Amino acid sequence: MYYQLINFGNEEFHAYPDKSLYWKRLNTLIVSDLHIGKSISYAKNKQFLPPYDTKEILSKIFVSLDKIKPSNLIIVGDLLHDVFSTLSLKDQDHKNLSQYMKNTDFIWIKGNHDKNIQIEGFKNFTNYKIDKLLFTHIPIETSLFQICGHYHPKVKISHRGKTIFKTCFIHNEKIFILPSFGILTGGLDIHNKQISDVLGKNNLSIYPVGQDKVYKL
Amino acid sequence: MNINKSNPLLLHPLNKWMKKKKWFWFPHQIETFQHVRSGSDVVVFAPTGAGKTLTGFINPIDDLIKLKKFKGLHTLYISPLKSLANDIMRNLEKPIKELDLNISFQVRTGDTTPYKKQKQKQKPPNILITTPESLALLNSYENAKEFFYNLKYIIIDEIHTFLDNKRADLLSLNIERLQTFSPNLQRIGLSATLKNKQDAKKWLCRKKPKIVSYENSVLPKIKILESKERIPWSGHMATYSINEIYKEIMQSKLTIIFVNTRAQAEYMFKNLWLINKKKLKIAVHHGSLETNLRLKVENNLSKGLVDCVVATSSLELGLDYGDVEKIIQVGAPKGINRLLQRVGRSNHNLNTPSKAILVPTNRFEFIEAKAAIEEIKKNNLDKIDLKEGSFDVVAQHIFATACAGQFEINDLYKEIIKAYPYKKLKLNDFKQLINLIQDGGYVLKNYDQFKRIFQLRENKNIYKLVNRRETRKYRMNVGTIIENPMLKIKLGTKTLGNIEEVFIQNLSQGDSFIFAGQILEFQSMKNNLVQVKRSKSLISKIPSYSGGRMPLSTNLANSVRALLAKSNMWDLYPEQITEWLKRQKNISKIPKKDEYLVEQFPRKKNFYTVIYTFAGWHANQTLGFLLLRGFKEFNYKPLGFVANDYAIVLWSLKEVKQIKTILNLGLLDKHLDNYLEETSIVKRLFRDNAIISCLIERRLPGMEKTGKQVLFSSDLIYTVLKKNEPDHILLKSSYEDAKKNMIDYDRLREILKKIDKKIILKKLTSISPLAVPIILEINRENLSKKEIDEYILEDLENEILKEANVLSIN
Repeated sequence: MYYQLINFGNEEFHAYPDKSLYWKRLNTLIVSDLHIGKSISYAKNKQFLPPYDTKEILSKIFVSLDKIKPSNLIIVGDLLHDVFSTLSLKDQDHKNLSQYMKNTDFIWIKGNHDKNIQIEGFKNFTNYKIDKLLFTHIPIETSLFQICGHYHPKVKISHRGKTIFKTCFIHNEKIFILPSFGILTGGLDIHNKQISDVLGKNNLSIYPVGQDKVYKL
Repeated sequence: MNINKSNPLLLHPLNKWMKKKKWFWFPHQIETFQHVRSGSDVVVFAPTGAGKTLTGFINPIDDLIKLKKFKGLHTLYISPLKSLANDIMRNLEKPIKELDLNISFQVRTGDTTPYKKQKQKQKPPNILITTPESLALLNSYENAKEFFYNLKYIIIDEIHTFLDNKRADLLSLNIERLQTFSPNLQRIGLSATLKNKQDAKKWLCRKKPKIVSYENSVLPKIKILESKERIPWSGHMATYSINEIYKEIMQSKLTIIFVNTRAQAEYMFKNLWLINKKKLKIAVHHGSLETNLRLKVENNLSKGLVDCVVATSSLELGLDYGDVEKIIQVGAPKGINRLLQRVGRSNHNLNTPSKAILVPTNRFEFIEAKAAIEEIKKNNLDKIDLKEGSFDVVAQHIFATACAGQFEINDLYKEIIKAYPYKKLKLNDFKQLINLIQDGGYVLKNYDQFKRIFQLRENKNIYKLVNRRETRKYRMNVGTIIENPMLKIKLGTKTLGNIEEVFIQNLSQGDSFIFAGQILEFQSMKNNLVQVKRSKSLISKIPSYSGGRMPLSTNLANSVRALLAKSNMWDLYPEQITEWLKRQKNISKIPKKDEYLVEQFPRKKNFYTVIYTFAGWHANQTLGFLLLRGFKEFNYKPLGFVANDYAIVLWSLKEVKQIKTILNLGLLDKHLDNYLEETSIVKRLFRDNAIISCLIERRLPGMEKTGKQVLFSSDLIYTVLKKNEPDHILLKSSYEDAKKNMIDYDRLREILKKIDKKIILKKLTSISPLAVPIILEINRENLSKKEIDEYILEDLENEILKEANVLSIN
């Protein structure tokens, strides 16, 4: 799989088109905003999305784990969509997860969607520090470099009379935001106030995710 | 008009009023009255100006007067447009008020206030004038049965606009519901003249079906603009003839200029304004303008306060503008019915002919205009093809039914298959649609605890809504018209109308564009409002609106072919057209009426294949994609194609040697599925299907969901569903819709069935005169959305890299 090299916080990362980020030096895979079980929690409000999102997200993550065999998997928040989401995790899913946990350390950072939910066998944290990097769902006041999720960034690209929206990895000097790894998750324009309040408007590095490749703008 | 001595209408309550106005009853009014009185369902075909509206009301008014002080709803009048409903109301008001008849009548549309709607439910008028959507809503209320149980007549106005679309499906289902409530209900349809009258009858009538027809003997006077300028090879804007069009406007009292798209309307308006030295009052009218602006134009038009209105199909229907003297149709007529409808807007009087001038914008359109005039002389109208009803509309109807109260599925099924579009609906598909409403209808039964409707424990065939809150969601989603995501345009605090979000996304601050006839500068976009200010910029963009591109009708296409082949007629054409055709004849060939000319020639290192199918844009577009795949298979290395109403051109790196082997029915069967999968056609239709079937909400209560968000999530749903459950009923439904509407499947099939024996292959050394127009159209991209995305990213990245003097980063 092709990856895009990204330098952030004096470290090298590989951004993959499946929306995961790999930190080679520490053999650590990072994903964010999986929103497992989003379909089932929508069904509660009688919005019947196809109930296949959980299955697809898990198989996507398993493919990535099989390929990279990381020592650590950091989930930067919103692993689950809400309390109902656990309903969509079947016995087999739990079995598969614990199988993978034998070789990979799962580090689940709580997000705003899943802060009050527990899954058996999952360690969870509000944030997690490695060297000068802080992994947290929403950025906090700190002098550390931060890797976060939460915003599902998308970038609007207008070029030669055409406009497209693409999910992207994005960072400034201090803060890195991952795209959502989920299936039925939408996105937010990086020029939206919510994101620009965090990243500012200048000196942004933006990496749109294409079909088989992560690009650099 | 003749007065029949034994005319039963002489005793009609309205006769006094007719006499006072010095009007006479038309024969078709008498005939309709008698048929309806003897219990028939009737469709009346008559041209505008022949008292069609009145025809519908003759029996209801007679009946209401005889019944004396009838309490409750007696007659329902369905109009295709809100504005038309108001117009009907005003027309009905005149005789009823002047004769002081004891009949109550009201309008109910989306514009009616909630207070008034509530009043109408408590105390219904005798006559209610409404739209198909408002009828569907009325049927979803719990007291629908009591409201309609005494209904005697339903009148469908402009029924020809309801025969071949999803609105027709919705209406047909709701008419059957009314019939269940009130078994004695009689149906009256009012239609413009149609070729296949029997089909309209089949669609509407159940009891002793009858057709009443009145043909106008006065033919319209239509001619083609005689221009001193050269008609261009290609293009659609008629810039060449603007001065001559202006002269025509000056010469008549009131002119409507019809164009085919909103963009053309804005462009024509702007160009007329630039040369408007005499300060004529010119206005523009199209569907995206704010209602108030539109009403103002309509009002000025009916009062004769303007000299000219540039309009799209928005001015085609109904409304009576007595003083319009001349119609100018700019661009291809596309179909006979449509042209007649437009031409009929002038001289709304049966005894004087309508006057119209056609302005072809390119050379093929000249032939098309000529052909259209010939067909109108022969009264050879287009056929409207009835289509099988769409699944998504049934789903919406099931939801509506549940909102009205619990229902038994077999009863509902039996009622639905009485509606003409659903005669062939399979019980199994119907049950899947029930499941779709219940919980999304997925194979994976995940949502047991969250159902929207549920089966009663004591009788599994009876379904009931889980809770009343759901009715609100149905009411938000009702209807079958799905607009593209639109944004409101604000000039100061004034709303000008709606513009497609896609267009705005391509603008930067300071860019100017033309809308509502004004040059505007884009300032900002906030909360789905596009703020603009007036601009004096000379360079401006014109918003394009997707959809609405009508293909050339089969009928007119045949006529165009026949006319092309008649070389003895050529000398009557303008010199440049004659020259063009003669040169074509010498260099290549003019195809005969039933031949399919294929030309092949090398040009600029590539190899070109042009096929003249005259199949209309949709079918040609599809055929282009299929041929692209066919060429790939034979390793001709195709690079792209362009299609228009008349022809397709493909270009490839290698010479296409076996065109006859590729171009046949097998091509369609082999590649159609792939084609549908690769292009975004089905995906786009899936969005409509998901909204119409209420799988996703148009708007969430309390929060306006922008079109962008709807589009986005329906794309995700489509992708997930396609991968995991390719047999899902909504995918099937979207696929069927694509076959019916977007790709002209049946038309293409008909052509491909017979094409291989009728191909005339011409190998040329260079481009032929006939091929020039389509070759000039080669500038559009023919890549799929996915490919375009990657292309833009790739290209942009490369540019940035070049700028930065870096060759590669990987």
